[in-house]
Amino acid sequence: MPIPTLLIPYNKSMKYKTHLTTLLAWVVVGVFACTAQTTSRAEELKVQAQLIWGTNEKESPDAKHQPVDAEVAKKLKQLPLKWDHYFVVKKLQVDVPVNGTKKEALSEKCAIEIKDEGSGNVEISLFGKGHQVVKRKQQLPKGEVVVLGGNAPNETAWLVVLKRTN
Amino acid sequence: MREKDYSSADDQSLVRDAQKGEMGAFEELVARHRDKIYARAFSMMRNEEEAVDLSQEAWVKGWQRLSQFQGESGFATWMTRIVINLCLDQLRKQKRHRTDSIDALDEESGGVERQLPPVVVNPTAGLERNEMRKRIDHALGQLSYEHRTVLILHEFEEMEYKQIAKTMGCSIGTVMSRLFYARRKMAVLLADLKKSGEDRIAE
Amino acid sequence: MGFDKQIKLQAHLDGELSEKEAREVTRWLAQDQEAVLMQAELRNTRQAIKGAEGFMPLPESREFFWSKVKREIERQEPTSPVVEKGSWMTAWRRLLIPASAIAVLAIAVLISVGPIDFNRPGSVAEIETSYGDTGAFSYRDEAAQATLVWLSYPADNEVADSDAADTVQ
Repeated sequence: MPIPTLLIPYNKSMKYKTHLTTLLAWVVVGVFACTAQTTSRAEELKVQAQLIWGTNEKESPDAKHQPVDAEVAKKLKQLPLKWDHYFVVKKLQVDVPVNGTKKEALSEKCAIEIKDEGSGNVEISLFGKGHQVVKRKQQLPKGEVVVLGGNAPNETAWLVVLKRTN
Repeated sequence: MREKDYSSADDQSLVRDAQKGEMGAFEELVARHRDKIYARAFSMMRNEEEAVDLSQEAWVKGWQRLSQFQGESGFATWMTRIVINLCLDQLRKQKRHRTDSIDALDEESGGVERQLPPVVVNPTAGLERNEMRKRIDHALGQLSYEHRTVLILHEFEEMEYKQIAKTMGCSIGTVMSRLFYARRKMAVLLADLKKSGEDRIAE
Repeated sequence: MGFDKQIKLQAHLDGELSEKEAREVTRWLAQDQEAVLMQAELRNTRQAIKGAEGFMPLPESREFFWSKVKREIERQEPTSPVVEKGSWMTAWRRLLIPASAIAVLAIAVLISVGPIDFNRPGSVAEIETSYGDTGAFSYRDEAAQATLVWLSYPADNEVADSDAADTVQ
């Protein structure tokens, strides 16, 4: 009959108890780490997307195009962009389902697609005339702005400004 | 035990010995090709200290990856590729922290130079060779790192467009645009300096 | 001469065209003086640059430079593991005693700060892919919490050729 653990002389049982306690501590740490991961975020991602025209002209020929708001103007000023004025061509909200993807048209030929990759990471894809032009993965916390841009005719520029709102 | 004499061995045998762990053989390879590797690093970085550091790093990496060298190219060519990649990594890191103006971004698409008529220049006539080298080197320093790199990889390393695209992590179209822009910019700079060179010769 | 044609001239000069395309360009060059001049400029520039790479010695002595390389190689070389005589239990015990202290500390920290928030900037690498010839590259301003991704592409690109530009021309 094997000798029960409790009857093992004092020194050996103390060593085994230390090892068991240590293993138990690691298990507890592991459980905490796992629960921390799963409680990060459980709501959909809300991103404001604006299609903007950059120009040195003081006014847009289209009266419907309003100048960008002060917050966006300030962000654009801090980036290395040379235009003096920015006008909003279209503004919309993109509601991305949790771990899902949402695509929205910004114009007849331009669309933006945002994918929620979890843990605050997004994948942004820009489409022009149906072709994917650029794809970018990064963190997008509240307050962070991503600006996609390129040259437009007559030394102007088009910009797509994305800002998380929740 | 007498030290082996590596100075008369060819690169192939030195590489074989170094692959077996003989540091002396690798030291000889470093001595033979260090200037070339440094020159390439300098042409890309335009900074002596950085070029020395990156050369050193390239040699360390060369030692670590020696078992991967199979002899498809020359050893010096293989080492040059290592230092080029290190330089590109460093330049990309530096670019993230630099404030580039939108003019520099415009440069990418060709800028004003695309619109210029052809520049008639015969660069080898009427100018002393060393002087020409210095001036071309100076002109290269005036390009952005992307344009300078594409010129270096094409003209000095004789890489094809596809290889350059892979090395620089961009499309072949971008390589072609950058190469075209870089050459046109150099042509304009060379035409200017040839004119100033002729003026000096006439003095 | 359009940009596409200029690029084709360059590719012809660099031997990057297919046989069919190369023949087309050769025929074109026989008829277009401007194309001939453009290619001549590209050729001359290429020759000038190729011939200009000079000798540039590393500004440190052989011995000094080698000593730095050697030192770095030796520093980075993995040290061989020391195999100790004794039971595997001895090795385990050595690991578990400090590990248990770390475990207790980790539990204390987690209880005090709650679940970890991964929703903060910079905790994941940024990855960007550009398609076609857009040659996108990015610029980041930490203070402004803004990232600019610029598509370096001619002005008549797929996105600019859209309402944003059309309606305001």
